[in-house]
Amino acid sequence: MTILMTALYDLGYILIFPGFLFCFLVGMLLCGIDRKLVARMQKRVGPPILQPMYDFFKLCGKETIVPAAASKTTFMAAPLIGLAALVVIQLFIPVFGFTAFSGVADIIVILYLLLIPAMSSMLGGAASGSPYAGVGLSREMVTVISCELPLVLVLLAVARTVGNAMGTGLCFSLSTIADFQAANGSLILKGSMIPAAIAMLMVIPGETGNHPFDAAEAETEICEGMLAEYSGAPLGVYKLNHAVKMLTLTSLFVALFLGGLGTGILPLDIIIMFLLCVALTAVSISFVHAVTARLKIEQIFKYYWTVVSGLALISLVLAWYGM
Amino acid sequence: MSILNYHHFPIYSIMILFLGAFLTVVFGHKKALRNIFALLAVSVSLACMIALVKPVMLDGEIISYWMGGRGIAGGYAIGISLEVDALSLFFGLLISTAVFVSCVYSIQYMSHDDNPGQYYTLFLMLSGGVMGLVLTGDIFNMFIMVEILTFAAVALTAFRNKAFGALEAAFKYLVVGCIGSTCILTGVIMLYAQVHTLNFAQLSALIPGNLTPATKVAFALLFVGFSTKAFIVPFHPLAADAHGAAPASISVLISGVLTKSGIYGIIRLCYFLFQSMQLGAIQFMLVFIGSVSMFVCVTMALAQHDFKRLLAFHSISQIGYVLTAVGLCTAFGISAGLYHAMNHTLFKGLLFLAAGAVLHQTGTTDLGKLGGLSRRMPHTTVLFLIGAFSISGLPPFNGFASKWMVYQAVYQKAVESGNIGFLLVLIIALVTSVLTLASFVKVSQSVFFGQLPEEYSDVKEVGFGMRFAMGIFAVLCVITGLFPNLVTTYLTEPAARAVFSVGKYISAMGFDSTVADQAVSFAHAGVWAPVNWLLLLAVMLLAVTIVAVASRYDKVSRRTSETVDTKYQLFYGGEKNVYSQVGGGDLFWGFKHNWRHYFSFMHDLHSGVVNDYALWAVVALALAIVFLQIVL
Amino acid sequence: MFKKLIEESTGRSPWLFHINAGSCNGCDIELVSVLTPRYDAERLGFKLTGTPRHADIVVVTGPVTKQSLPRVLSAISQVPEPRCIVTMGSCPQSGNVFKGSYSVAGPLSKYVHVDVDVAGCAPKPEAVIDGLALAAKILKEKRGQM
Repeated sequence: MTILMTALYDLGYILIFPGFLFCFLVGMLLCGIDRKLVARMQKRVGPPILQPMYDFFKLCGKETIVPAAASKTTFMAAPLIGLAALVVIQLFIPVFGFTAFSGVADIIVILYLLLIPAMSSMLGGAASGSPYAGVGLSREMVTVISCELPLVLVLLAVARTVGNAMGTGLCFSLSTIADFQAANGSLILKGSMIPAAIAMLMVIPGETGNHPFDAAEAETEICEGMLAEYSGAPLGVYKLNHAVKMLTLTSLFVALFLGGLGTGILPLDIIIMFLLCVALTAVSISFVHAVTARLKIEQIFKYYWTVVSGLALISLVLAWYGM
Repeated sequence: MSILNYHHFPIYSIMILFLGAFLTVVFGHKKALRNIFALLAVSVSLACMIALVKPVMLDGEIISYWMGGRGIAGGYAIGISLEVDALSLFFGLLISTAVFVSCVYSIQYMSHDDNPGQYYTLFLMLSGGVMGLVLTGDIFNMFIMVEILTFAAVALTAFRNKAFGALEAAFKYLVVGCIGSTCILTGVIMLYAQVHTLNFAQLSALIPGNLTPATKVAFALLFVGFSTKAFIVPFHPLAADAHGAAPASISVLISGVLTKSGIYGIIRLCYFLFQSMQLGAIQFMLVFIGSVSMFVCVTMALAQHDFKRLLAFHSISQIGYVLTAVGLCTAFGISAGLYHAMNHTLFKGLLFLAAGAVLHQTGTTDLGKLGGLSRRMPHTTVLFLIGAFSISGLPPFNGFASKWMVYQAVYQKAVESGNIGFLLVLIIALVTSVLTLASFVKVSQSVFFGQLPEEYSDVKEVGFGMRFAMGIFAVLCVITGLFPNLVTTYLTEPAARAVFSVGKYISAMGFDSTVADQAVSFAHAGVWAPVNWLLLLAVMLLAVTIVAVASRYDKVSRRTSETVDTKYQLFYGGEKNVYSQVGGGDLFWGFKHNWRHYFSFMHDLHSGVVNDYALWAVVALALAIVFLQIVL
Repeated sequence: MFKKLIEESTGRSPWLFHINAGSCNGCDIELVSVLTPRYDAERLGFKLTGTPRHADIVVVTGPVTKQSLPRVLSAISQVPEPRCIVTMGSCPQSGNVFKGSYSVAGPLSKYVHVDVDVAGCAPKPEAVIDGLALAAKILKEKRGQM
């Protein structure tokens, strides 16, 4: 009976919270709030908050055209694999004290798991055969390379800070990081972690491919890049991937830096988590979107490897020497 | 002793390969017979190695074997010996697996070449040479094996001597390979002059107490010699040429087997003969060379536009990981390094075989000319992708499992030693990994996806034999990725333990040992449960797929007839479709632009002139001699 | 219910793809002005896309010159069903001042079924939004009939 109950619980985690359904709803909401916020910042009325939902369901009802030059299996399977991989990451990110599956993956693994959705969209684009997709995937890959270095530095800085405080020297487990923050207050309150937190905020729009780091999907110059040949439901799944990615990265930020704000009561925690995600989206995605113009790809690379990495490096060095 | 006693197995596994080489000369003109002999030889060799797993890996026995029964006289080893501890066996297993798969692949792959008879002879000589190198307990014997394998490899590099660049590559390899071999020979001579023995175990017992300037020079000579065999920086340009020219099945051996023999030599040299790894300077040397190899070669790979040359540079980049991990001098680090060495053999073998399949079917490996092959060679594409995901370290494939261990080991070392330099190494390793991914995205885009050129529109899938060989590697890639605990428990941890029990290694051959075995720990901080992750992913994928199929995701419009319908053409802004492939040459412009000074520096440095490379070798040797004189 | 949801969503999320078929650029600018803060068509879910594969509504401007005709038709054919075609400005409907020119192949309705015509030279943004909203309604009906 207990095994059955555990299996049911696990299934619930996977499908409902913090798995598929939660990711779907919250991701879509974040995406909608982002669009609304950007519109308000530009003095527009903006689309309804549910607009991403409408877009998604509309795309589900559209015809799906597979171009003659495409490799059909990869073309169709890539978005689904990306989605599944993304939602699985969400299972490992703690909601304050609660982690659905804590003994599976540490932060280094999460760093790599974040590559899978990017990889799936690149392969899907490559499989479509479109030259626009070729250019798009080249830019996407460079964006991924750009974000990787600062993200690595941020994660190492956090791992070192928590490890130092716990006396083990290093700590890779996300749930341990969350527990540590629950006991000792959020990491962002430590002076040495502030540059890393700012760097992480800057990494979020790059990883999600939001403005101004959306050179890979620039619709005005390379016709949406990797998505150029996608239509109908697979395109909808890609849009969903984008929405879920926003949730994943903002909640990763919460888990890394704001873990001390939990209350210990799960429903309340979820609401706090959601509000924090919205706030982070507003700061790191919407605000930046509203005030900047799209960067060129080599500018993106330069920006991340100098400014953002520099900030993260300051944190890492400070953390290394125990500050 | 019975003839089937497992103590004989090491010598069997070497002899059978040389015997096979002989027999394929005799029966070289008969195709079936020749293939059977070759296959039989490599299978028996593999079987011998597998049979040794239980006594050596699990029971921790060290097999010492004096050839012809001539052992120790007057306190000195006079006979030639084989000594197989877990470390040797680990490399032996790797080698025999790679050789076996490569041989299976060759049968179909080489069937259209001229003189396949000679091919098998050289192939088996090369395999026997490497096998002998890792199983031997005698340093002069090791030199002999190095010579055999170097010359076999040079001949095989030039095997397709009608192809452009093959002879040039072979010549370069010959020159620098000979410098390496000469270094090893000189080193052996100097050691013999100093301590009057050639036996590994006795050398290990005698050298640490007799560190004279001459033995230090010998260290440098041997180190440089083995480095040329492992192709680590600054010997990496050779590998690119050799891999580019050699048949794919030989590239598997060069990258999966030859480089491992170099790593094996370095481990034996640093941990056993000189037992100097406790010194921070030696650790620094290995980790530094490893990190430089890692980063330089991955950036060189990004600049390549030939499939096989690109793989060649990645091969050295991955060897850099191995060397870095081995240089940490922690048990967990060695375990991680060996794990990565094993995985490298598997995934790089797979990738080279996939490159060979492309070459076999299309006649080119130029990334600028290929494209869209996934629609003509779907199985090869899937197998290639498994290899590509493995090498780029995407979970749950094996490259991730071992890289993850390497990162942990480096970080642990950084914390233990308090040295921030190791943190830099860790960052380089992580960045290298994502650049590797970039490189393989480039290959996927420009070889397997994208648009199919007109001239390859009737390309067929490769034959079953070749796909089967690739399949073996692919399955091993997945298994070793999913069950890292099994691999570490049964393969790499015994080998890592063997590295830290030098005393046992010495006394197993009957010499007195004063070296105490060290306690080892494989504890690490991270968590990674690939099977659980895969289960979660599978459930999630199933759920997503069910939802998708229920909402008729798979109902697509696709062109059925060959009539030109603009609806199913690619969107070219309304223009007619023409062949337009975004090729591999300069795909990551945004990255390279920011590094243009670095790349142009590298471009000038790699002149392709063999004189330069020989000079590099000499300079490296001089530096190594000076460095080791100072620090040892 | 799912079908109802999709039908409802289709009306609320029409994505535009804009084809210039030899326009004088007047209508093109007006189309962009529709998305500016003053008119903000995004509140109705409109969005400009970069490729016909993503689009629901194709907006054609210009008198459809002979050079552009095959390109316009091929781009329209690449739009997945259900789709709506909107002509913007007088040119694609009648040829406007370019009527009779040796290089004009229009009007567009000779070649494809046009769902909505927005007249004017150039039409006012209010008219364009009105036309697009009508197209969205037609789109929803088309989806309902699928």
